[in-house]
Amino acid sequence: MNNPYCPVKGRITDIIEETPVIKTFKLKLDKNIPFKTGQFVEMTVPGIGEAPFTPSSNPKIEDTMDLTIMKAGRVTSVLHGMNAGDEIAVRGPYGAGYPLRDFEGKEILIVGGGVGLAPLRSLILALLNERKKYKRVVVKYGSRSPKDIVYKNLIKEWAGNKDLELEVTVDVRDETWKGNVGLITTLVKRDMGIDMANSVVVVCGPPIMMKFTTFKLIDIGYEPRSIHLSMEKNMSCGLGKCGHCRIGPYYACKDGPVFTYDKLSGLHGIWE
Amino acid sequence: MKQKFLTKDNFKIFVEALAGTYDVYHIEKDIHGNLHLVRFSGSFGDGGNADNIVIGGVRPFEPLKNFFFMSREKVVDGYKKSEEARNDKRKPFCIIGVKNCDLIGMDTQDFVFLQGDFKDPFYIKNRENNLIIGADCTYAIDTCFCHSLGIEHYPQKHYDILLSTLEKGYLIEGRTERGLKFLERHSGIFGDVDERYIEERDHIRKHAGEQVDENIRKNNIPHCSEFGEIIKVNLESPIWETEVKTCVECGSCNVVCPTCHCFYLADSTASGNKEVRYKMWDACMYKRFASVAGGANARPHLWMRLRNRFEKKFDFFPDVAGFYACTGCGRCFSGCPAKIDIRRVLKNLVAEKNAKKAKNE
Repeated sequence: MNNPYCPVKGRITDIIEETPVIKTFKLKLDKNIPFKTGQFVEMTVPGIGEAPFTPSSNPKIEDTMDLTIMKAGRVTSVLHGMNAGDEIAVRGPYGAGYPLRDFEGKEILIVGGGVGLAPLRSLILALLNERKKYKRVVVKYGSRSPKDIVYKNLIKEWAGNKDLELEVTVDVRDETWKGNVGLITTLVKRDMGIDMANSVVVVCGPPIMMKFTTFKLIDIGYEPRSIHLSMEKNMSCGLGKCGHCRIGPYYACKDGPVFTYDKLSGLHGIWE
Repeated sequence: MKQKFLTKDNFKIFVEALAGTYDVYHIEKDIHGNLHLVRFSGSFGDGGNADNIVIGGVRPFEPLKNFFFMSREKVVDGYKKSEEARNDKRKPFCIIGVKNCDLIGMDTQDFVFLQGDFKDPFYIKNRENNLIIGADCTYAIDTCFCHSLGIEHYPQKHYDILLSTLEKGYLIEGRTERGLKFLERHSGIFGDVDERYIEERDHIRKHAGEQVDENIRKNNIPHCSEFGEIIKVNLESPIWETEVKTCVECGSCNVVCPTCHCFYLADSTASGNKEVRYKMWDACMYKRFASVAGGANARPHLWMRLRNRFEKKFDFFPDVAGFYACTGCGRCFSGCPAKIDIRRVLKNLVAEKNAKKAKNE
C-alpha cells in the first residue's frame, strides 16, 4: 500500500535570492508531483524535518517546481543554507487549491502581502494560461519596503502586461522608490473600479495583513463568500489526521488551505 | 459458536493456546491495586497459575490505542524503499480483558486513520490479524462514568471474543469469524452453558452498572444528551481559565486518552540514515502544538488549549463523525497531577449553557 508519510526524493536545481530573507528554490524531483494552483506540498530537508509550502510556479509545468520560502523556522533556516545540487524530498500535493472554475467570467482581485505573493504567483500564472476565461485580473501587492519585494523581475514584466492590472505599494519607502507608499489596505478601495457583484478576491499574506484586508473588503461591500483566504496553520501530516491545523470543524490541510471567509467568520484562532 | 463455559483450570490452557498463535497481553494488578497491561511470558510453567490475570475489574491504566496507533512508530526508512509501506513481520497480538471504554475509543481512532482521502497503512496493518478479547467490567472505580456518554460497561463492538467473569469460571462467546474459529479449534476445553450462568452474568453486569450510575449520581455528571452546543455557547466562557489554572502542561490527559489521536512526524538521524521518519504521539496541551514558523500560534494561552481539547471531543467529532470522542474511562483526570476533572468541566459547561438559555428566554 502506498505510504503517505514518505516523500519523493529530488534536488535543488537553482536558487534565486528574492530578498535578504526570501529565496525561491527550483526543484527537480525523481517523480513529478503535479499540483493544482493553491494546493500545498510538504518539503523535507533530509534528517531535519519537513514544512508545508504552496508552490509558486505555473501548475502547467510539471517537471519542475518552485517553492518561494522565507527563512522563518528550524527547517527553513537549514534550507536557506543549502545549495543547488543538494538533496531534498517532497510529498503531496495536499488540500483543495483555488476553485478556478468559480472564478470564470469574473473580475478577479488578487491581494498579496510580502512572501504571500508566492502562492499568488502560481495563481496568476494559472489565470494567464487561460486568460480568456476570466473577465479581469487585478493584482494589488504590498511589501514592507522596496527591498522586501519578491519576484522583482516578474513584477516589472507584469507591469507591462495588458492581461493584468498591477499596483504595488510599500509600507516604508527608500530613496529608490517612486511608487505608492502605504499599507496594502490603501489600495483596496470602494472606488477602485471593480464590479464587486461580479468579483472574487484572493488574499494571501501575513496574518495581520489578511485580517485587515478582509475587514476592509467587507467594509467596501464584498460578500464573505467571495473572499478567498489562505490559512497558514501548522499543517504537519497534510492528510487530515495529525490534528495540528484544526480550525473549527475543518482541517486547513484537507478542507483548505484556501477558505472563503463565510466559512471562517466566527471561528476563533483564524488570524493567529 | 454460542456461549460456552470456561473453567478457571481450563483458562490456563486457553491462555497458553492463545500464546501459541499470538503475542499475548493481559491485565494485572500491581502492589497498589492498580490495573496495568502486561505481556504474557508465553507459558505458566510447571505448577504456575493464572491467578494474576485479571479478566473482569475495570480498564487498565494504559489505553488500548497504543497497540494500533503506537506511541512511536517508524513510518519511513529510506525514501526509495518506503514508497510502499513496510510489511511488518510482527507476530499478531492478542489482548485479553479489554473493556468497553477502550473498545468504543477505537471508533475515533478508526475514523481518523481508516477514513478520508488518505488511509494510514501502518494503522491498517496494526488492526489486521490480531485478536481482541473483550470482557465485562465487574465493578466500577470512582472515576468510571461511561454511562454518561451513552456507553455500556460491557463490550459492544470491536472485539473478537467476549469473556464474562463468573464465580467459578468464565462465560465465553465468539463474535467475529477470527474469534469463532479460534474457539472452534480449541472447543475441547469449553463446557456447555445453562440458564444459571447467563443469569449470573446478568446479575454481575447489573451490579457493576449500578456502581457506574451511583458514581454519576454522586458526582452529578450530566448525560451526553445535554452536551449539544455546550462548546459553541461557551467558547468565551470563564470556565476555561478557571479550570486550567492548575495545569502544568504535562500532556498526560492526551496520552492516556483512548480517543486522542494527534501525532507529529519526526525525522531522525540517530541511526546514521537521514531518511528516517517516526510518527509519534503529540499532545494538544503543549504550547507549540498549533504554532507555526515565525511565531504565530492559534492557541497561545493554556486556557485556549484546554478549550481546544474539549472542542475537539465534544464539538468537532460530533460535527464531523457523529459521536463524542470521550468514552467516560476517567483516565484523563485520574492521571492529571493538577486534578482537572473532565466531569466537573462538563458539569459546569452544561450548567452555564442552561443558564444562558434561561436568560435568553
